[in-house]
Amino acid sequence: VIRRAATVGRVGAPAVRAYAPVVLAAALVALLPLRYADSRPMMGVVIGGVLFACYAVGFNVIFGSTGQLFLCTGALAGLAGYASAILSDRHGLPMALAMLLASLMAAGAGGLLSWIAVSRSLGVIFTGIVTLTFALAFQNLLLGQRDLTGGETGLVVEAGSDTLLGEQVAPFYVFVVLLTAYLALFRALQRSHIGWAFRALRDDEIAAELAGVDVKRYRVLAGTLGSGMIGLAGALYAHSEGFISPSTFSFGEVDVLVIVMLAFGGIGSLLGPVVGAAAFTVLEEWMDSFNEYRLIIYGSVILVLFLVLPRGVVPTVQRLVEVARRRRVDGASAPTARPPADTLTRK
Amino acid sequence: MRAVVFDGVVLGLQFGLLGVGLTLVYGLGGVLNLAQGQLAVLGAIVAALRLDAGSAVVPAVLAGLVVAGTVGLVLDLTLMRPVYRRRGEDRVLLGLLLMLGVSFIIDGVLTWRYPIEALTLRIGGEPVDILGVRMRTGSLLASAIALGVGAILVLFLRYATTGKAVRSVIQDEEGAQLCGVSPATVRAFVFALSGVLAALVAVTRSMTSPVTVNAGIDFTILALIVAVVGGLGSVSGAFLAGILLGVVNTVSAHYIGTYITTIVLLGAAAATIVLRPSGLLGAGRE
Repeated sequence: VIRRAATVGRVGAPAVRAYAPVVLAAALVALLPLRYADSRPMMGVVIGGVLFACYAVGFNVIFGSTGQLFLCTGALAGLAGYASAILSDRHGLPMALAMLLASLMAAGAGGLLSWIAVSRSLGVIFTGIVTLTFALAFQNLLLGQRDLTGGETGLVVEAGSDTLLGEQVAPFYVFVVLLTAYLALFRALQRSHIGWAFRALRDDEIAAELAGVDVKRYRVLAGTLGSGMIGLAGALYAHSEGFISPSTFSFGEVDVLVIVMLAFGGIGSLLGPVVGAAAFTVLEEWMDSFNEYRLIIYGSVILVLFLVLPRGVVPTVQRLVEVARRRRVDGASAPTARPPADTLTRK
Repeated sequence: MRAVVFDGVVLGLQFGLLGVGLTLVYGLGGVLNLAQGQLAVLGAIVAALRLDAGSAVVPAVLAGLVVAGTVGLVLDLTLMRPVYRRRGEDRVLLGLLLMLGVSFIIDGVLTWRYPIEALTLRIGGEPVDILGVRMRTGSLLASAIALGVGAILVLFLRYATTGKAVRSVIQDEEGAQLCGVSPATVRAFVFALSGVLAALVAVTRSMTSPVTVNAGIDFTILALIVAVVGGLGSVSGAFLAGILLGVVNTVSAHYIGTYITTIVLLGAAAATIVLRPSGLLGAGRE
């Protein structure tokens, strides 16, 4: 899966072509308020969609690039969301500084988890369970530390309400800017030596190690960076929404959805998170009218989607395009040499 | 102190039974059954409905076990087929996602049709003295069932021909096939068995506290943690992990307080995985 997606972002592709999908996706998403700007609930839904796309890009850096199954997306976002709210409201820090500190905390927590997983060479499932225990423990802490977090009733976030973030449409654009930045960062990573290392260790860890890739370092790097991205998105959401509660960041509300979105869009691909977030936001909204059998429809859709498209939309479309193009090239001249990403591991 | 530890063991035996079904299915086919808890609740609700309809306890419970087992079997024969055709990480991920979908469907159907149904089995009788600790009959019966089933499972896997076939597929799928064992049949059997075991846990659990419609997710997460701490694929490991976590749970609830207990429990689970990455009795790395 990764190998196919990776060839698109190969080093040396002209920068314009490499970043075109980012610009295109951002432009398309930015058009949404044309239709929904006058409805506050709909803007909430759309903002939620972009927020989840941001989470999914962060998760993609960790899981898609380096195969570490982090089941604590919600907890990392929540850590930063609560930290930023508490730092700015209770301790009087400027909002921007609070958000920065909070994101650094999330990055630190994610980096630590990643470091533990890597230094004990935990497999995919084991990393998943360790991070899941972190997520569940964090959830309990939120519920238990009433004085700090407001427990089950949640926390009203004052900071940010008198800025752009307090308006109806403006926060949406703030999130679109964040998403664009994340996508550009993801593409830049793919094109840099770090991207080479990620692909190498994802394809074959031992071969990568032998080729001189410091697998441990790159995994921890991905864990730290991705967690920081998730954290920043969570902190921003706390200030724009003005209210957070444990369920805003719970495993069931965030992680399950992020994984399903990314798997549907295409793990490891640039636009997978955006496609997945768009599809499932539409689905959730559409299902709202079927209150009673919501879960049943949701489950059935997941089954059908993954039976039909087990690799995800973006890689499947890319493969179809690739096949069509190769057929055309074959017709015109001799088959061109493919520049497969896995040459690195075979060197 | 002794009473607290006993309570922990009672709880732990059920944790263990919960982990066993998950661990076997994963060991065999690499499918992480995220609908394990939902199968358990399904069994419990079927039993509760039979009881409401005036059925006696034992037939009602049996009906629950049979339904959960059948659903497990059907899932394996239909939905899991495309999963088994894949290898490695692809298989794990697809299996996990499909079972997640199944868990949503079961949860959805149950909460839609029977939103307030719950299974409570009241086991009568005076508390019994065991080593100077008075134990409720319900807890004793629940533990006896868990212990008995666990022992039967271990013996079955060690000595019965089918049990040996199961272990051979866990060890080496192709090798087993070459020896005339059909991995597909073994997997279907074990999937059904795990459904029955899940429902059994819900039943024994209902002897001490009610099992409600939305308990599925908690069961699943607990099963996952127990199975991983015990070492995926290891039956005795799951029981060991279950007892360990059960004792940690009650001791901490008694001496520290309930709110911190969950965190202590999760911490203990995480610490075990970090210290022994292949689980307590795990055979080795995946």
